[in-house]
Amino acid sequence: MNIDRRKLCKLGAVAGGTAVCSVATPVLARDEREPDPNWYGMLNDSTRCIGCKACQVACKAENKLPAEATLGDAKVFGTPIYDSPRELSESTYTLIKMHLDVESKETTFVKQQCMHCVDPACQSACIVGALKKQSNGAVEYDADLCMGCRYCMVACPFSVPQFEWHKAIPSIKKCTLCSESRLKKGEPTACATACPAGAITFGKREALLKVARKRIEDNPEIYLNHIYGEKEVGGTNVLYLTKPKVQFAGLGLPDVKFKAVSGLTESIQHRIFQYFIPPIAVYSLLGGIMSYNQRRKKNAGQTGGDDEY
Amino acid sequence: MSIKAAPLHQKFITTNFWILIFFMLSGAGFAYFRFFEGFGSVTNLNKAYPFGIWIAFDVACGVALAAGGFTTAAIVEIFGREKYHALVRPSILTAFIGYFLVGFAVFFDLGKYYNIWHALVYWNGTSVLFEVAWCVMLYLTVLGIENLPNVVEQFKGNVKLPGRLASFNTQVDWMLGKADWFCRKTMSFFVIAGVVLSFGHQSSLGTMMLIAPYKLHDLWYTPLSPLLFLTSAVSVGIPMVIFEGTLATKFFGRKPETELLGSFAKYVPLFLGTYLLLRLGDLAYRGVLAQAFDGSVQGNSFLLELALFTIPYFMFKQKSVRKSGSKLFLCALSVICAVVLNRFNVFLIGMDMGPNWNYFPSVGEFAITFAFLALGVMMYKVGVNYLPIMEKEH
Repeated sequence: MNIDRRKLCKLGAVAGGTAVCSVATPVLARDEREPDPNWYGMLNDSTRCIGCKACQVACKAENKLPAEATLGDAKVFGTPIYDSPRELSESTYTLIKMHLDVESKETTFVKQQCMHCVDPACQSACIVGALKKQSNGAVEYDADLCMGCRYCMVACPFSVPQFEWHKAIPSIKKCTLCSESRLKKGEPTACATACPAGAITFGKREALLKVARKRIEDNPEIYLNHIYGEKEVGGTNVLYLTKPKVQFAGLGLPDVKFKAVSGLTESIQHRIFQYFIPPIAVYSLLGGIMSYNQRRKKNAGQTGGDDEY
Repeated sequence: MSIKAAPLHQKFITTNFWILIFFMLSGAGFAYFRFFEGFGSVTNLNKAYPFGIWIAFDVACGVALAAGGFTTAAIVEIFGREKYHALVRPSILTAFIGYFLVGFAVFFDLGKYYNIWHALVYWNGTSVLFEVAWCVMLYLTVLGIENLPNVVEQFKGNVKLPGRLASFNTQVDWMLGKADWFCRKTMSFFVIAGVVLSFGHQSSLGTMMLIAPYKLHDLWYTPLSPLLFLTSAVSVGIPMVIFEGTLATKFFGRKPETELLGSFAKYVPLFLGTYLLLRLGDLAYRGVLAQAFDGSVQGNSFLLELALFTIPYFMFKQKSVRKSGSKLFLCALSVICAVVLNRFNVFLIGMDMGPNWNYFPSVGEFAITFAFLALGVMMYKVGVNYLPIMEKEH
C-alpha cells in the first residue's frame, strides 16, 4: 500500500512536471502580422534632414504642447526660452537630435517619434487594450480606457510612450500620427508638412517603401542599402534611410531583430491557456492526489502520519 | 486535527502597535502627494524606469512571498501531510494579507487607479498583465473563502454585535451558518483552485518582462522565466512559513515550534534543487553564464542571488540545521532574500532601459512600502489575536 502510494506520488510528480514543462518550454513564435496596404506612415530620410526642428515646432503647435526648458534657461531668464528637449517626454512627441557615429565620425540629424509598429508591443502589452492599431495605420491611445500601469513603456522597444509624472491624473502621451486631427481630414502629418528639406515624406507605407527603394537605387552612393522599419520588430510604419557609412545604430535606432517583441510572451500565454487544457489538467491531477489521500486517511481511520517522500 | 486553534487574546495596544501606526501614518502623508500632486512629487520613477519599488517589491516580491499559503495548503491538504496542519491557518492568513497588500500596492501604482475595474471589463488576452490581474483577483477571493472558516468557528452561535447593531445578531448568525455549510461543501474545490491559480500568476509574473528582449539582461531573459518564477516561489513557500512562525512565536511570547518547522523544512531542498537545476541548466544551455563574471552590477547581483539560493540548499539538507531554531531562521531568510533579489533583478536591476537614466527609490517610495508592510503586520496581529489561527502550544 505504502509503496503503491509512493509510486503514484512519483508518477504524479513526473506527469505534473512534464505538463508544466511542456507549456513553459521555448515556444514557436506566433504568426507574423502582415502590414495593411491602407496604412499610412512616414519616411524619415536622415541624409536630407538639416536639423532645423521645424517639425518639432509644428508638432507642438498641432498638439498644443508646452515648451520644455533646456540648459537651465528657465532659471536664468525666469521663463523657458530654448525649447530643445534632450529626450521624448509627455510634452515632446517628436524630437530632432544630432547623432555622432563613433566609427565614421559622421554626424547626422535624426527625427524620433512613435514608430507606429505593424505589430505593436504596446498593443500586445496593454492590459485593457487602450493602445490600438487603427485602420489608417496609427497606433492610437485611449486615455479613458487606460489604467496607468505603464507596462506599455516597458514593452515598447523604442521607449516611445511617455507618462505624465507631474499630474494627479496622469495619461500616456505619444505621437498620434495626427490620426484624429489631420489624417481624418485627408491632410498629411504636421511634421511632414512643416519640413522644408523634404526629409519627412508622408504617405501609405507601401508607397513609402517604393520611394525609399527608388532613392537607394538612384543614389547608391548617398544611401545605405537598407530601409530601417521595413522588417525591424515585425515592421514599422515609420521608415528610416541612412548614409552608407553610418549604421542605423549610429542614428540612435536600436539594433533589433526582425520579429515582433511580443511574440514570446504571447506564445507562452497562448500555450498556458490554450482551451484551458493545462490549468484543467493540473487541477485534475491535484484533485486526484487529494481524493486519493483523503480516501487513504478514511480507510486508515486516523489522521495520517508523515511519511518520508 | 488533534489540537484546536484559538485566538491569542493578548494585550493589543503595545509599543509595537504604535511603531506600526507611525509607519502607516508616514506612508499616508506621502500618499497624499502621490494622489494629488502626481508621481513626480513623491517617486524617483522616470521615463526609463516606469516600474519602481512598488512593482518590484510590493507586487512581484509580495506575490512570491505569499507563496507560503498555497505551498502549505498543497502539502497538507492535497498531499495529505497532516502533521503540519498547525501551519496551514497562519500561512493562509498571511497569504490573504499578502495578496490584499499586492492589490493595495497596485492601486497606488496605477496612474488612473479609479479605472482599476477596467481589467474586469475590457479584456486584452494578449497581455500578460491581464492574466496576472485575473489570477490575483480570483486567488484573493479564494484566500478569503479559505479564511472564512476561521471567522465562522469563532463567531457562529456567538454573535454579539455592539450597541444598536445587536438587533442583527440573528441574521448575522444565520449568514455565518450558511457560510459554514458552504465552506464544508466546497473547501476541497477552493483549495485546489488556489494552487492552480497560484501556478498561473506566479509563472505569469515571470513572463511579464519577456516582452522587453532588448532591455532585460541576458542572465534573466529566458523563455524558461515563467517556470523559474514558479519554482522559486514554491521554494520560498516553506522558508516564509519558517520566517513568520519564528517571528510570531518571538513577538507573541510563545514556545518556539522548531521541531515542527524543522521537519517541514526537509522539503525545501527538493524544491530549491529543482529550481537551481532549471536555473543553471538554462544558463548553461543559453551559454550566458560567462556574463555573470564580467564584473558589472548585473553580473555581481546575479552571483549574490545565486549564492543566496545555493547556500540554504545545502544547509537545509543537514539535520543539525533543521534542529536549531536560529540556523533554520537564517537559512529561511537566505532563501527569502534570494527570491527578493531575483525579483529586483528581473524588474529593476537587470532592466537597461536606455542610457543616462538611473533609478533608486525615493524616501517617499520607501515610506509607502513600509506603510504597506506595517499594515500587513497589523492585519496579522488583528487576525491571530481575535481569530482561531494559531494552535494552542504543545
